[in-house]
Amino acid sequence: MTSLDLLPPQRSAAITELRLAPAEATWLRAIGLCEGVRVTLLRGAPLGGPLHVRLSTGAELAVDRELARYVEVDAPTDEVPA
Amino acid sequence: MNAAACTVALIGRPNAGKSSLFNAVTGGHAKVGNFPGITVELLDAKVKLPSGEHLELVDLPGVYTVEGEADPHSDEGHARRFLELAQKATQPLVIAQVIDATQLELGLRLTLELRRRGVPVVLIATQHDALVQQGFELDARTLEEGLGVTVLATNARHAGLQQKVLELLGDAWRQRRTPPTGDLDVHALASKVLIPRIDAKEAFARVRRRTERLDAVLLHPVLGPAIFLGLMTALFAAVFFISEPFTALIDLTNQALGTRIEGWLGTGWLSSLLVDGVLGGAGTVLAFLPQIVTLTIVMELIDASGYLARGTFLVDRLLRFAGLGGRSFVPLLTAHACAIPAINSARIIRDPGQRLRTILVLPLMTCSARIPTYGLLITTFFADHSAWFKGALFVGLYFAGIVAGFIASLVLGRTVKSTAQQRPLVLEMPPYRMPQAPVVGRVAWRSAKRFVKDVGSVILIAAVVLWALLTVPGPGDTHSAPPGASPRVVAMHGSVAASVGRLLEPVTRPAGFDWRLNVGLIGSFGARELMVGTMGVIFGIEGGEDDTAPLGERLREAKTSTGAPAYGPATALALMAFFVLACQCMSTLAAVRRETRSWRWPLFVLGYTYVAAWVVSVIVFQVASAAGL
Ligand SMILES: Nc1nc2c(ncn2[C@@H]2O[C@H](COP(=O)(O)OP(=O)(O)OP(=O)(O)O)[C@@H](O)[C@H]2O)c(=O)[nH]1
Ligand SMILES: [Mg+2]
Repeated sequence: MTSLDLLPPQRSAAITELRLAPAEATWLRAIGLCEGVRVTLLRGAPLGGPLHVRLSTGAELAVDRELARYVEVDAPTDEVPA
Repeated sequence: MNAAACTVALIGRPNAGKSSLFNAVTGGHAKVGNFPGITVELLDAKVKLPSGEHLELVDLPGVYTVEGEADPHSDEGHARRFLELAQKATQPLVIAQVIDATQLELGLRLTLELRRRGVPVVLIATQHDALVQQGFELDARTLEEGLGVTVLATNARHAGLQQKVLELLGDAWRQRRTPPTGDLDVHALASKVLIPRIDAKEAFARVRRRTERLDAVLLHPVLGPAIFLGLMTALFAAVFFISEPFTALIDLTNQALGTRIEGWLGTGWLSSLLVDGVLGGAGTVLAFLPQIVTLTIVMELIDASGYLARGTFLVDRLLRFAGLGGRSFVPLLTAHACAIPAINSARIIRDPGQRLRTILVLPLMTCSARIPTYGLLITTFFADHSAWFKGALFVGLYFAGIVAGFIASLVLGRTVKSTAQQRPLVLEMPPYRMPQAPVVGRVAWRSAKRFVKDVGSVILIAAVVLWALLTVPGPGDTHSAPPGASPRVVAMHGSVAASVGRLLEPVTRPAGFDWRLNVGLIGSFGARELMVGTMGVIFGIEGGEDDTAPLGERLREAKTSTGAPAYGPATALALMAFFVLACQCMSTLAAVRRETRSWRWPLFVLGYTYVAAWVVSVIVFQVASAAGL
């Protein structure tokens, strides 16, 4: 158990929980960050900028690093090809 | 116009291809770009079915979900409100969900929500060409069976799809069949209907690698920001360097025309109206057409490529430091063409505090209406310097606007507090796409047409009115006329416009502006281009009948009442500083009023930008004069 912001680069993990206000969590699920989806960390922007992640659904997202602290993921593995 | 038989709402996730589809079906000009959140306003058009009825097709901002709460002032909120109202309206509604075939699973979640609304739904799967490139094909029949909804797989950028889409919509309207509402496993359904080719694995990897390679460079921790800065500089420099020769050409044509007209009509008032008013006023502005078109083309290339999302990613941290955010980037960049669409596009900013601060600083970005003034002043008062120096000064003015916006936002961050909860950045990063030459060409052509139309209407009328206000003798004091001036010039110094301009001189003198520049500043309050137009009229009249020198030369040789040179580089710098800061644009204020739903904020923008403009231009003039410029 760890959070998205702690995922090492190029590693992937499945989202287990969004520890956020319900309205915000609903929106994040709709955009694609929902429980069960695997996320791969591609890179982070310099100086604490956002994270660049790829979802197992194929989409790529920029996610604020602070927000990523509230996205719980399971144990990291290598990316599983879709 | 026939009443429409039904409303068809194009609903879908941002960047799915709704506007592309709208354009292909209606022949319309909805703005298209490779970024989630290009469309922020409703756009509708009537289309005729083969059977003769009319449908009202509505292009909407993208939505991720139509359930739960949405901020009514965001782009999603606008789309959601339309949907609510359209469902209650008497005119029947058909939902056409536009779904990106390469992002099927995410799109299908929205389909489930839409099916629950009890309204006929059809599915138009766009990007099918991109899906094929990735080595897959969409089995539309199986998807139809799975969803109980008609499905059309297509390429929304293909003009030939109109017929098929109209048939689909016509059938949906006639049958008015509401879809099943049950839940289903979208992941399983998506995998079932995406049929891989034998080489799917390689094809998919190849397509992904293209975007990955570009991202490795463009989002590189060091290279990325450097390229970003270089790109912005190149954008602004291109406007200056690419267009200069064309502008010179239009200028020459203007001059030749002027000489011709004076040859035909002699030197009466009609000739002065045409040469000084029409050519000097509107014609001088028209000479900046190439700059406007160049800017449009480069911006369109950035929009279409997918770089906007990368820019957002790169500058988020920096913008947050100033109280803005990554989502402010697209409005800020858009404002470098025009602040009004930029203010509308602030709807994509989900954080209300960031949205307000962004709207308040957008007028400081260098919109294209400032280009004529900058161009004229730089080529006139820095004529002896190298092209590189002039280009750098031009680019510097763009960056001055950005820095000013940054500072303003920092100050505002302390005073304009956001009460609502903060909404940090989450943004889809679309794959890179090659801009399409015909689309870029069309956008450029339309911007040229719009500019010519503006110059031919608003600017032309204003220039003629100004000419009249400057020519009809008034009660004013004519002492300011330089020694030995012609009767017409003396009359101008006594005109109504001159009297008003002179009234402001006590305020503007510390910045080096005399009544003539003041008349320009007043004229440019309605539209900034009129600064150059006014100069064209005033110095056209001052130049007299047989002076065909270009406007720049006349400005350099302008005299005060004592016969001393009226302006120099210090005046030019001060005037440019004024233009960087002042929100001289009624339409921008109206847009701020509309988006903030209050009078307080437009008045605030007007006040703070003018005070800043005056203070800074005085400082610039005093310092530059002291430095001997
Ligand atoms: N290859 C391909 N590209 C497409 C297709 N449809 C749209 N695009 C591209 O996808 C991007 C988004 O298209 P838009 O029409 O602006 O999408 P939209 O749904 O209106 O997006 P928003 O207004 O941001 O919600 C643009 O770069 C289009 O050129 C398609 O069928 N095939
Ligand atoms: Mg759109």
